Amino acid sequence: MGVEPDRLHFSWISSAESTKFVEVVTEITEKVKALGPNTHYVKKEAKVA
Amino acid sequence: MIAYTDKVRQIARRLLEDCSVEMVIGFRKGSQPMMNEPCFIKKAEDADQLVWDGNCGINLANYLTGRKEKIAVFAKGCDSRNIVTHIVENKVQRDRLVIIGVPCTGMIDKRLVASQTEGEIEAVSETGDKVVVKLKDGGSTEFDRRQVLQGNCALCVHRNPVIYDELVADLVEEQTDVDHWADIREIEAMDVEKRRRFFEDLLAPCIRCYACRNACPLCYCPTCFVDESRPQWLGKGQDQIDVHTFHFLRAFHCAGRCTDCGACQRACPVGINMRLLTKKLEKDCFELYQWEAGMALDQRPALDTYKPDDPEGFIK
Amino acid sequence: MKVINIDQKKWTKGIDTLGSSYKLIGPVAEKDFHTFEILQQGQLPDMSFTNTRLSPKEVVFPQSEDMFVYSLDQNDEDCNILKEAPKDYSPRVVLGIRPCDARAMRLVKLNFDTEQYKDPYWLRLYEATTFVGLACDQPCATCFCTSTGCGPYHEEGLDILLAKDGDGFKAKVLTDKGRQLAEASGWTDTADDGGAFENARRAAEAGITSKVATDRLRQMDTLELYGADFWEDVSFACINCGTCTYLCPTCWCFDIQDEVHGKKGKRMRNWDSCMFPIFTVHTTGHNPRGTKLHRVRQRFMHKLKYFVDKYDQGIMCVGCGRCVQQCPVNIDIRRVCDLMNSYGSENACAAQG
Repeated sequence: MGVEPDRLHFSWISSAESTKFVEVVTEITEKVKALGPNTHYVKKEAKVA
Repeated sequence: MIAYTDKVRQIARRLLEDCSVEMVIGFRKGSQPMMNEPCFIKKAEDADQLVWDGNCGINLANYLTGRKEKIAVFAKGCDSRNIVTHIVENKVQRDRLVIIGVPCTGMIDKRLVASQTEGEIEAVSETGDKVVVKLKDGGSTEFDRRQVLQGNCALCVHRNPVIYDELVADLVEEQTDVDHWADIREIEAMDVEKRRRFFEDLLAPCIRCYACRNACPLCYCPTCFVDESRPQWLGKGQDQIDVHTFHFLRAFHCAGRCTDCGACQRACPVGINMRLLTKKLEKDCFELYQWEAGMALDQRPALDTYKPDDPEGFIK
Repeated sequence: MKVINIDQKKWTKGIDTLGSSYKLIGPVAEKDFHTFEILQQGQLPDMSFTNTRLSPKEVVFPQSEDMFVYSLDQNDEDCNILKEAPKDYSPRVVLGIRPCDARAMRLVKLNFDTEQYKDPYWLRLYEATTFVGLACDQPCATCFCTSTGCGPYHEEGLDILLAKDGDGFKAKVLTDKGRQLAEASGWTDTADDGGAFENARRAAEAGITSKVATDRLRQMDTLELYGADFWEDVSFACINCGTCTYLCPTCWCFDIQDEVHGKKGKRMRNWDSCMFPIFTVHTTGHNPRGTKLHRVRQRFMHKLKYFVDKYDQGIMCVGCGRCVQQCPVNIDIRRVCDLMNSYGSENACAAQG
C-alpha cells in the first residue's frame, strides 16, 4: 500500500511478559519517531470537487 | 468450448425433467458481443436458452447464496473453488447443489479484443483455437484464442473443476508453464514511494460503483463495511483515502479466500486491475502456508487455523 | 441553411481565445476510453471519440460536492453555523458533448428545477455552462437515441451544435449563450451550406438501427406493471452494483453526508444509486426495497413508467447505450423496455376479439 514497513508492527506478548512488552514498545516508538509523523492515509478534510 | 452448449442443455433438461433440481443456473446468450447473461431455468423446455462459450466469465457461485431451492449450477474451475469456499464457510449446503463441472480453457477478455480491434465489433465467434471478430464495416479479424484470454485465465492452473457431480466434457490439460506471480513480484520490488504512486494511478479511475465487490462471490456480508453507518467506517465521497481504503480493505477481506476468478476486474466499468491487490494476498497465503483457496472440502482456510510451526516470527 | 464554417485553424485559435473567458471542459483520451475533463491551457479536446465511458453529467452534478461548511470550535464566532461552501460558478463550456447527453441535462432539469424546489447547486452550474454539442455521424450498435425522442443531431439542451466537416466543423448556433460563445471565439464565418447539414442529420438518423417501442408505457396500469411476472427473470443476473446508474446521464439521485475532521466539518452530497442495498433503508432499519428484484424494478419503473407519468416528456432515458455496454452481466434496458411496453398486449388482443 505504500506504508513504510517500520510504521506497522505485530507482536504477540503474553500478559506475563512485561519485560518483553517494554522492549517492544520502546523499539516501536523509536522506529516510528525516526520516520516522523505519518502523512499518508491521514484525512484532514474530505477532498471534494 | 462452444461445443459444450449441446451437452449443457441436455444435462439441464434431464435434471429438470427428473426433478433432481428445482432450478438450473447457467448462461444465456447476451445482447452484446462477448457477453452472456447469467440466468436461471426452471422448466425443462427452456433448457435450450442455455449456452456455453468463452464469454461465461461471470462467477456463478455468486448466485447460489440466500436461495432455498435445490439448484444445479454450471461450474468452471474457479467457480467450483468458490463453491467449495461457500460450503466451507457454511453459505451453501452441499446436498442442496448439483454441481455440473465445466472443464475450462479460459474466458475471452472483451476489452482486450476491443482494444486490439480497429472499428466497431458486430459479432465475435469461436472456432477451436481461434476467435473471429466480425466488424460492423464488413471486415473481420482473427485472434489466437490464447492471446485474448482474461488475465487471470491466461495464468490459471486450476481450469478443471475441483468438485462436481457430473462433467459436461472430459477434463482439460492444466497449464504448467505459467509464471503466476510475475506482476506481483514487480510491485513487491518497488520502493515504498514508487509503490504508493503505483496504487494511486491504479485506483485513480475508480467511481465507487462497487461492481468489483458485488461481482465477487466472497463479498456476501449482509452489510458491507463501506455501507455501514453506525459506526461509519468510511467517507462516501471521492476522496482518495476513502477510495483506497475501500479497495485495500476489500482485498484483505478476501485473503486466503480469493480464487483469482477475475470477476472483479471483468466487472469494472473503468478497467481497474484490482486483482493486483487480491493476488498479493493469494501469493502470501501460498508461500507462507502452501494454501490455495477452495481446493478441498475438508481443509480449513489459512486464516482459520493455527499451527505451531507458523512461519511468522511475531507470534512466537 | 446558414451555418458557421470552422476550419481546423479557426478551431484551434478559437479554443485558445475561449480559454481566457471560459473554463474549458472537453473529451480527453484516457488509457482505454475518453472522459470529460478540464482542459489545460493549449490543450485541445479530442473530438475523435465515439462516446465517453462516463456521461458528462459530472460537469453540473459532481459525484461529490460540498454544500456547507461549519466549525465546531467553541472559540470560533461562527461555531455551529452552517455556511455555504465556497464554489466556483465562473462561466464554462463543455466542448463536444453528444446530443444525447445534452438532452439528458434537460430531463434532469425537470427534476432539479421545479415550481416548488430549485436545486441551487445544480442550477447554478447548469446556468454557468455553455453546451457545445458534437453531432454523431457514426453511432454505436448500442445507440437507440431515436427511440427516446432524441437523435444524433438533436438540438435540445445545446447552445451550439457542431458537425464534423473534413478537418474542421460546421456549426449551428442555437441560443444566445451560443451566439456569445461564437463571437468570443471568433467563429463567425457564416455561409449557406446548401442543405449539407440536414442531409448529414438524415443520414445519421438512418444509421441508428437499434430501436425500442415506448408507445404503450403511458397507458399501462402502474400496479400491473409493478406486479408483472418478468421481474424475477430480468433481475436475476443483476449484482446490484452502481455501474448503470453512475454511467447514466439521466440518473440524478444523491445522498447527503456530514464529515467532521477535528473541529471542522462539511456537509456534502454524493451520487447515490437505487441499485445499492442501503439506498432507501429507513432509520427504523426497515428497507422497502430489500431485495435485488425490488431494486432492479425500481430502476426500470422509475425510468420507464413513473417518470413518464409524472412529467409526460417521454422516458427518462436518452438511448446513449452506456448501461447496455458496461453492465457486467449484460442486463439490457432495451429488452426490459420492450418487455414493459408489450406487457399484457396478448391479453389485450384476446379481449378485443
